[in-house]
Amino acid sequence: MTAQPAAHRLQGWSTDPLAPVAVLAAMAVAVAIAGVDPLTWAVVGGLAGYSLSGSV
Amino acid sequence: MAGGALTAVALWLLSGLASPLPQRVRFALILAFAAAAVLRDLGLLRLPLPQNSWQIPQHVLQRGILSGPLRFGFELGTGVRTYVSATAPYLLAIALLAGGPGILPAVLAGAGFGLGRAATPFVRLSSPDPTTWDDLLRRRSRWLAAAATTAAAVAVTIALLT
Repeated sequence: MTAQPAAHRLQGWSTDPLAPVAVLAAMAVAVAIAGVDPLTWAVVGGLAGYSLSGSV
Repeated sequence: MAGGALTAVALWLLSGLASPLPQRVRFALILAFAAAAVLRDLGLLRLPLPQNSWQIPQHVLQRGILSGPLRFGFELGTGVRTYVSATAPYLLAIALLAGGPGILPAVLAGAGFGLGRAATPFVRLSSPDPTTWDDLLRRRSRWLAAAATTAAAVAVTIALLT
């Protein structure tokens, strides 16, 4: 296994259409549990915006 | 971001109309809609919701090298100028209307919405093959919407109950 295919795979995973949802979902639950309300609203907003991917 | 913030401020202003309702009733409405939103995006509930059933006209993009894309982004960011293919934006709107979180959280929610909208082309262009990415998005769009709405519903529920 060379470094280049591994980097390519990593880029593929990190740019998967579902990757931002996973990151934002984890952030949303974490900030909601932590009680940081303004951030919770911001991240929920991000989830709502990204959920419209493909709709222009 | 500006478009999302504008819509969010408008919703925040309208949230005053819901303020006479007891907080318990408003929160119950949000939680009920959050559950319905998840079921809708999972395809288990048919719930027609209002939307503009057209795309932002192409001529908006062609108005100028800078002003065209800026206006297109602004209109896209408002969330009211094109199709709404997932239920999470409705959940956000209901939460802002009935939750009345205050002006700062509303602006942050709107800005977050705009950033979320902008993330799509950014992630697409960062992918090794944007054409394959488009195919992946088409195949996973239902799961993407369901996952985003579920996460938004869980976060809103936690925020309201704690």
